[in-house]
Amino acid sequence: MLTQSEPVVHVLIAQAARGAGPLAQTAAILGRLGADVRVASVETGAACLERVRAGGIDLVVLDLGLGAEARELLSALRGVGPPVVAVTPEPGTDVVRDAFLLGAAECVIAGPEYARVLPVVVLEQIRRWRALLERGAVEQRLRRLEHLNDAIVQAIPAALAVLGPDGRVVGVNPEFARAFGVDATRASGASLEEILPAGLLPRERLLGLLREATVREVELRVSTPVPGSGTATRSFDVRLARLDDEGRLLLVLWDVTEAEQLNRRLAELKRYNENIIQNMNSALLVVDREGRIAFANPTAEGILRGKLAELRGRSIWEWLSDTPRGRELLERTLREGVRFRGAETVITHPSGQVVPIGISCAPLQGANGRRVGAVAIFQDLSEIKELQRHVSQTERMASIGQLAAGVAHEINNPMGFIHANLCQMAEYLSDLRRLWERVGDLQAAIATGRADQIHAQSEKLAALSAEVDSDFVFSDFAKALRESQEGSERIRHIVQDLRQFSRNDSGDRTLADVTDCLDSTANIVGTMMKHTVVLRKEYEELPRIRCYPMQIKQVFMNLLVNAFQAIQERVGSSGETGEIRLETHRRSGGIVVVVSDTGIGIPPENLPRIFDPFFTTKEVGIGMGLGLSTSFSIVQRHGGALRVESKPGVGSRFEVFLPLTSGDSTPQPAA
Amino acid sequence: MSTPAGSRPGASQVRGVVLVVDDETRILSALRRSLRREGYEILTAETPAEALSILEARSVDVILSDHKMPGMNGLEFLALAAIRRPQAARLLITGWTAEVPARDLDALGIRALLAKPWDDAELKAAVRSALGR
Repeated sequence: MLTQSEPVVHVLIAQAARGAGPLAQTAAILGRLGADVRVASVETGAACLERVRAGGIDLVVLDLGLGAEARELLSALRGVGPPVVAVTPEPGTDVVRDAFLLGAAECVIAGPEYARVLPVVVLEQIRRWRALLERGAVEQRLRRLEHLNDAIVQAIPAALAVLGPDGRVVGVNPEFARAFGVDATRASGASLEEILPAGLLPRERLLGLLREATVREVELRVSTPVPGSGTATRSFDVRLARLDDEGRLLLVLWDVTEAEQLNRRLAELKRYNENIIQNMNSALLVVDREGRIAFANPTAEGILRGKLAELRGRSIWEWLSDTPRGRELLERTLREGVRFRGAETVITHPSGQVVPIGISCAPLQGANGRRVGAVAIFQDLSEIKELQRHVSQTERMASIGQLAAGVAHEINNPMGFIHANLCQMAEYLSDLRRLWERVGDLQAAIATGRADQIHAQSEKLAALSAEVDSDFVFSDFAKALRESQEGSERIRHIVQDLRQFSRNDSGDRTLADVTDCLDSTANIVGTMMKHTVVLRKEYEELPRIRCYPMQIKQVFMNLLVNAFQAIQERVGSSGETGEIRLETHRRSGGIVVVVSDTGIGIPPENLPRIFDPFFTTKEVGIGMGLGLSTSFSIVQRHGGALRVESKPGVGSRFEVFLPLTSGDSTPQPAA
Repeated sequence: MSTPAGSRPGASQVRGVVLVVDDETRILSALRRSLRREGYEILTAETPAEALSILEARSVDVILSDHKMPGMNGLEFLALAAIRRPQAARLLITGWTAEVPARDLDALGIRALLAKPWDDAELKAAVRSALGR
C-alpha cells in the first residue's frame, strides 16, 4: 500500500525491444527525472501484467506499438491497476481514441516534443494516482475506526445514550435498550425521562445536570427502587459529558447494583468475622514468622493480660519460655507449616503464674501463598482442670461410698446380734441373780439348822429355777456369749482389713507389694459380694515395685466392683453365684494382675469406649463412668497398660501390667 | 429348721407360731432369744427357699424376715409368702430401713418395718401387735 512517506516512484515501460526514433528514448527520458523515479522495462504485455500484479508499480508507460498485446493489457489494467500512459509514434486520432476508450489515462504522441511532454504527463499521472490512493487509505482508516467505535458501543456493558443539546435522545446502544427495556430504534427523539425508570433522574435534576454538563463533566451515583420487589434498589454510576461542538452530550450509565450488593455482603462478612473473632470464647492470636504478636482478640488480651496495643510486636516466646512443648509446636507451625490441634501446654506470666491452656495452631499464608506467620487459638483450661480434679475426686468418693456401704452392712449384722445378745444376757444375769438370792436364803436356812425352813427355801429355789428355766439360761448364756465373741471377732477382722486397705495412704510413691494391695482390696470388696461371688485367688510370688499403693488399690477396687456388678447383672435374683478370679504373674519387665469374672460381659461395640471418661452403661447414681478411665490413667501414670477382653454372656478379663523399671524393685542378689 | 428350744411353751400355752427368716444364723439365734419369753412357737429358716417350704407344710401366724438375702430379697419373699399364707402377718427387719420404699410396704401389706440392730421391747411389741394382742 502506497503511503505519503514513500518517496520512490516506480515506472514500468512496456515496449518492444526494437525500434528507433523518439520512442527508443523513453527509458532514457524517464531515467533523467531523478533518483526518485525508478524505471524498469519489459518487452511483452504478459510480462508487464505480471509485474503490475506483483505490486509496487505506480505507472505503466505502454507502447501502443505492441498492438493486440497493448490492447489486452489496457483492458486488464482498466480500473484496477496503476494509470497507463500510452505512447505511439503515429499521430492518428483513431489510435489515440482507441487508447482512451480502452482505459489509458493519457496518450502521448512520440513527436519532436516527446522528451519534454512525456515527463510532464508522467509526473501528473503519478500525482493523481497517488492522491487517489491516499484518499482511499484515509477513507479505509476512518471506516475501520468507525467499525471499532461501533463494536465498542455495541458491546460495552454500560448503557450509552447520545443526547441532543435539548436533552432529547439522539441514539442509544443495545445495553441501554436492554437495561431499560426500550427499543433502540424508537429511542431516537424521545425525551430521556420518558425512557429511564421513574425516579432515577427526575426532570428538574436532569435539566440541572444537562446544564452543568455543558461546562464540565458530571459524575454521580443514583438509585431507584425496583418496582414490586420490596426494599431492592437498582444503582447506577452516571457520567454526562459534552460530546462535540454541536452541543451533543454523551450519557453513560453503569449498573452498579451487583457491585454494591457484593460490597455490602463483603462488609457484612467482614463485620460477621470481626464479631466472631471479638466475641469468641477462645483466644485468637496472630504471630509473624518470628513469633511477634500481630493481632490478639479480647479473649487473648485477657489470657495474656494486656491490650492489643501493648501486646503488638512483643514476642509470644515470652509466655512460652518455660514450656518446651508449646514452644516446639508453634515453632514447627512457623517453620514447617505443620498444623496441630488441641495440644495441652501452659503459658507462664512474667509474675511466674502458670496457666494451663489448650492450643491449636495453623500456618498463616500471604496472598502469594508464602507462609507469613501462624494463627493460634487457645483456651484457658484452668477451670476445666479444676473441674476434672473435682470430678475424679467425686468419683473416688462415690466408689469409697459404695465400699463403705458394703462394709457397714457387714459390720451391722454382727452388731445386730451382739446388741440383742447383750440385752438378753443382762436379762439372764438378773434371772441368775434372783436364783443366787434364793441360794443365799437357802444357805441362811441351813445355818438355822431347821429342817422345815431348809425344806421351804429348797422348794422356793426349785420353783424359781423352774420359772427362769435355769438349765437353759446357763447353756444359752454361754452360747450367747460365744456367739457375741464370734461377732466381735468378725468386726475386728473387717476393721483390720480396712486398716490394711488404707495403709500407705500417704499419697507418696513407695516400694509396695502389689499382691498385698490386691488381697486387702479383695477382702474389703469381697465382704459386700460374698453372697453372689466366689472369689478365687491364684497368686504368684511378686517382686515389690515402686508405686502409689493407694492408687493401685483404687484400680483393683474399680475392677473388682465392676466384676461384681457384671455378675450381679447376670445372676439377678436367681440365687446363683458367679466367680471372680484374681491372678498375679511375673512377666518379663514387670508384673501382671488379672481380674476375670463370669459376668454379663461387654458388647463388642462398647469395648473401644469403656476407658473413655464418662462412658457408663450403669444406672444413674451407680457410677459416673469414670472408674475405668481413672484406672486407665493411673496405670498409664505408672508406665503400665490396662487391657480388656470380653465376651457377652461369658465374662470379662482385665489385665493390669505394671513395669518393673530399674531401681523400682528390691535389689536382687547377684546370680 | 424349727427348734422351739428355750421357750418350751406347752402345747396349750402356745400363743402363736412365728417364722423368722435370716441368712445369718447368729441373727436367728439372737431373735429367738429376744422372743424367748413371749410364749411363741418359733420356727427359723436361713434362706427364703427354706422358709417357703416350711410355709407349704404348715400355717404360721407371723413371718419376720430379713431384707438383704442372697437370691431373693425380703420383699420378694414376703410377696410369695403372702400367696401361700395370706392370713400370716408379715414383718420386715433390715439394717437399711431407708432403702425400702414405703410404697412397697403398703402394697405388700407389711405390718411393720423394724431396724437392725433392734430394740427388744420394740420387737416384742411389733410381734404382739401383729398377732392382734
